[in-house]
Order: sequence, then C-alpha cells, then structure tokens
Amino acid sequence: MALSLESRSASRRDTRRPAGPRPVRGGHSPLARRQRRIFGPFLAIPLMLYLVLFIGPTLYSVYAAFTKWDGINSPTWRGTDNFTALVDDPLFQEAFWNTLLILVVVGLGIFVLAFSFMLLLRDMKGKGFVRGVIFLPHIVSPIVLAIFWGFLLRHDGLLNALIVKLGGEPVAWIGPDSAFLMIMIAMVWISTGFYVAILMAGVDRIPAYFYEDASLAGASAWQKLRHITLPLSWDVISVAAVLWTISSVKVFEFIYAFGASQGTMPPTYEWNAAVFVYGVTFGGQTPQYRFGYACASAVVMLLLVSGMVAILRRAMRRDAVQF
Amino acid sequence: MATSTTSRPKVLRPLGSTAVWLFVAFCLFAFVFMLMSSFKNSSEILNTPWSLPTSLDFGNWGRAWTDSGFGEAAVNTVLLVVTASVVVVGVSAPAAYALSRRTGRLSGGITMLFVIGLGIPLQVIVLPLYSVLAELGLIDSLFGLFLVYVATHLPFTVFLLTGFFRSLPNELEEAAALDGVSATGTFFRIMLPLARGGLVTALLLNAIGLWNETLLGLMFIQSTEKYTLSLALIGFIQQQQYSGADYGALFAGVSITIIPMLLLYLWLGRRITEGLTAGLGK
Repeated sequence: MALSLESRSASRRDTRRPAGPRPVRGGHSPLARRQRRIFGPFLAIPLMLYLVLFIGPTLYSVYAAFTKWDGINSPTWRGTDNFTALVDDPLFQEAFWNTLLILVVVGLGIFVLAFSFMLLLRDMKGKGFVRGVIFLPHIVSPIVLAIFWGFLLRHDGLLNALIVKLGGEPVAWIGPDSAFLMIMIAMVWISTGFYVAILMAGVDRIPAYFYEDASLAGASAWQKLRHITLPLSWDVISVAAVLWTISSVKVFEFIYAFGASQGTMPPTYEWNAAVFVYGVTFGGQTPQYRFGYACASAVVMLLLVSGMVAILRRAMRRDAVQF
Repeated sequence: MATSTTSRPKVLRPLGSTAVWLFVAFCLFAFVFMLMSSFKNSSEILNTPWSLPTSLDFGNWGRAWTDSGFGEAAVNTVLLVVTASVVVVGVSAPAAYALSRRTGRLSGGITMLFVIGLGIPLQVIVLPLYSVLAELGLIDSLFGLFLVYVATHLPFTVFLLTGFFRSLPNELEEAAALDGVSATGTFFRIMLPLARGGLVTALLLNAIGLWNETLLGLMFIQSTEKYTLSLALIGFIQQQQYSGADYGALFAGVSITIIPMLLLYLWLGRRITEGLTAGLGK
C-alpha cells in the first residue's frame, strides 16, 4: 500500500515541477531514484504495525466514544450520550480536575524548581553529580517510587517516625484532603531532574562569551538572565512545556500503585483521567467494562492535550534567535 | 562561571544551593532506603527505618525470588525488554533512514504521522487494542504484549532515529552510488554502522522505558506466571492486604526491579541523559 501511494505522489510531483534548482535529495538525480526504490520496502513493516496497532485503535477509540460497548460484543451507537453523561459524572469531574491540577500546578512547580536549579547549577561545584542524581527517579519504575512514597507518608512511616523522634505528633499525610497534594509533590520530585537535564542541555549551548561581553558592559545578573539566558533557551522551554503537557495526561502508574495499597483501586479522590479509564473498565473488585464510556473520556483528554499543545505553541512562538 | 556577580542578592545563592543539596540528599536517601530495607525484616523497617541493616541477610531476596514470583517475573521482563527493544530499533532504523532521505510530501506526511503518535496518550488506544488482541487470541500472552510494546514504541524510536540519520551527510550515498553499491547495500554496509551511536541510544532508551512499563501489562496480562516485574510488585502489594505484610520481601522485589536500571545508569548515564534530551533541544 505504501508503495503504490508513494509512486503516485512522486509522479504527480514530477509532472508539476519540471527540473528546477531543487536540492539533490528530492529531485531526479539517480541517487534520488535509488532512494525512492527502497522507500516502500523500508517502511512497509513499521508502518503496517503502527497503523494496525496504534493509529487504527486511536481512530476506533474516537468512534467507540459515541457507542455503548463492552469490549466483546459489537458497539451500538448512542450518539453523544457518553459525553453528556461524563459532564454529569462526579467521578469524571474529579478525575478531570485532578488531571488539570497535575498539568498546571505540578507543571508550574516543576518549571520553577527546574529553572532555578538550572541557574544555580550553571556555576556550582559538582554540577555533573547533582544533575546525575536528581535524574535518577526518571529511570526507575513509578511503581517503585509509589511504594517508597507510601512508606514515607503512611501513619507509621518514615516522616512520622522522624517527627515523633523530634518530639512532635504524627500527622495523617494520606487522608482524603491531603492525599492528592502528596501525589502532586511526588510528581514534582520525580520529574524535576528530567527537566533540569533538558533545560541545561539547551543552556549549555549558549556560548560563554555572550556572558563575558555582558559582564564587560556592566550587565547585572538579572539583565543577563533577562537578555541572554531566557531568549536563547526559549526554544527548549517551549519544547519542555509541550512535553510536560503530553506526559502529565499519561500519568497513571504512580497514582495507581500509591492508592492501590489500600484496595484494588485507589480511592476516587486520587483518580486522574487515566485512572478513570482503567477504573470504569477493568479496575476494582467488580469490573464495569464500560468501554464506550471510557473511550469518550479518553477522547476528551486527547482533545485537551491537542488544545493545550496548540495554545502553547502559539503562545510561546518567538522568532528564533540564531547563535 | 561568568554568571556569578556580586550584584545578585547575597542570601539567594547559598539558600538555593542548600535547597539543591537537600533535593539531592532526598533522592539518594530514597534509593539507599529501598536497597537497605531489602536486608531488614518488617518490624525493623517500620520501627527503625533510619538505621542500617544489622546483617547482610539475603533471606528476603530468596523469598521474593522464589515464593513471590519475582524470579519468574525477572525472566519475563528480560525476555520482553530485550526482544521488543531490539525489534523496535530493527524495524525503525530502515524506516527512519528512508524518511530522512526524502523530502517529498508523502515522506513528510508519514513523518508527521509518527510525530502525532508521540502526543497520543496510551489510554486512548488501550481499549480498542484490547479487542484487537482478543480477536487474535493474544490476551494474556507475552507475544501479544511484545507486539504492543513494539507498536507503542515506534513513534519515539522513528522520531529519534530520523533526526539522527538526517545529521549524516548526503555525500556518503553519492560516493557509494558511484562505487556501484546498491541502495540497500549502502544502508546496511555504510549508513547503519555510521549510525551505531544513535542505534545504541535508541536501544537503551527503549529498554529503560519497557523495563518500567506497567499500564499495558496490567491491561493485557492476567496470569501470574506471565507477570513482568512491575506487575509482580503490584500483585505483591495487593496480596499483602490479605496475607499480612512482608516488607523485607517487598523491598527485595523493589531492589530486583531497580538494580539493573541503576547499574545501566551508572555505566551509561551520560548517554541516557543526552539521548533523552538531545533530540529535544532542537
């Protein structure tokens, strides 16, 4: 399939654009012809796998959002009923709100922390070591981190043990009012190191003589930040913002494992949208298998991500500074 | 370096450095605590969480490995991670090369299609995927999970490798063509060896991601003998509510899960951080 599409578009382009001053790659050179021949065979397998097991399911999910479906029998059309039901569902409202909290509040927390760390680390001793250690949470399973977080905060846990030793009263960290806040703090802890690494990779490319020139001209640290660091790392910051938007909506494992130690599913005040999908299908003692409903909620989140990414890209667009 | 000047408020910097070092200390503590607790028993972990283990007793490890199924899970995980990351890089590399060498509308469109996949949250695809796998009889099958792992990691791998192949100069192929090497031969004998660095990075990043993967396993695997390490950990936590707590074995299981990643990170840390961040800096 890929092959036939390919040759069609190639021939169309050839008739429309007779030989002109094009780069060698797309033109009529023998080299381009050779590379056109391997294009189909090289792409066939991955493209097929991707279409069948990724793009196909995505499109089907959008369709299933408008149906009643249990995953086994074929779906029956119900129009927009799933979406109106979602709006009225307190469980989904909670999950949606929690997702937004992770996206915005945790995102800002990570950004502020990562940006300050990056500024501090630029001229700090042992910055390689620091950068290496704070990246650690990113390479281990969120399940493991959730187990640790649970041990830290449970009633007879590490933090309370320390408080008692210092003569205080144990605190109920994991209650209905505070549990989600604790999850949010954990998210900041887990992700900061990763974003420090990204920001530093961007900032490290800024040539040192910019700062030397600025110092000679008598610029203050604030002016250097404002006129050198910020504009020249803007690209990286905007990529990081998009990346966080995408990954914040995917957060699942940590919440699931953190909450599931008290039952088969986390308490509903800890749910986010991804946990919601699992909760109304496979999760819990008596699974509900509401596939269509869950697909509708997933589609809402997909729209949220696309919207946010579009807004971010528009809002953060600047003329690229070449250096 | 050049940014430190005297005009910055003098209190801010020491305060900030202290915060950074506290953060570092907390990260280190978390890992030391988990590894240390794998040598303690439940009451020691709860009553004297801050103290060192009294002996280097591997009893917890033995119980976790055999009785709690972490051994079996480790074998499954290694098998899945190795095959899936090798296959995903193997099929992505030719695709990425082909995409990097053409500038037409079709190639641009396919590249875009893979990029879109980066932004689609997994919860969007898991349910239809479940019925596809059910149709194929691949629910509760490690091969089914392997297929899903490959498919879900294609977008990232193709994206990463396309960028990498783009950075290799075009002149190499021209020279190869003049020497009469076929296009396929050029790819396998010239471009692939040159791209070794990128391939290793892609392999490494996929392996780490797959080692820690949980959601897909949770959805598609049911029987305990097919559990991956993440699933075994979840199963262990949930079982404890009924069978009583054996925190020593839990942390032995945790250690089995994290130690391979920690070793990999100690060995190839720079490559991992750079791989994860380099493609984004552009």
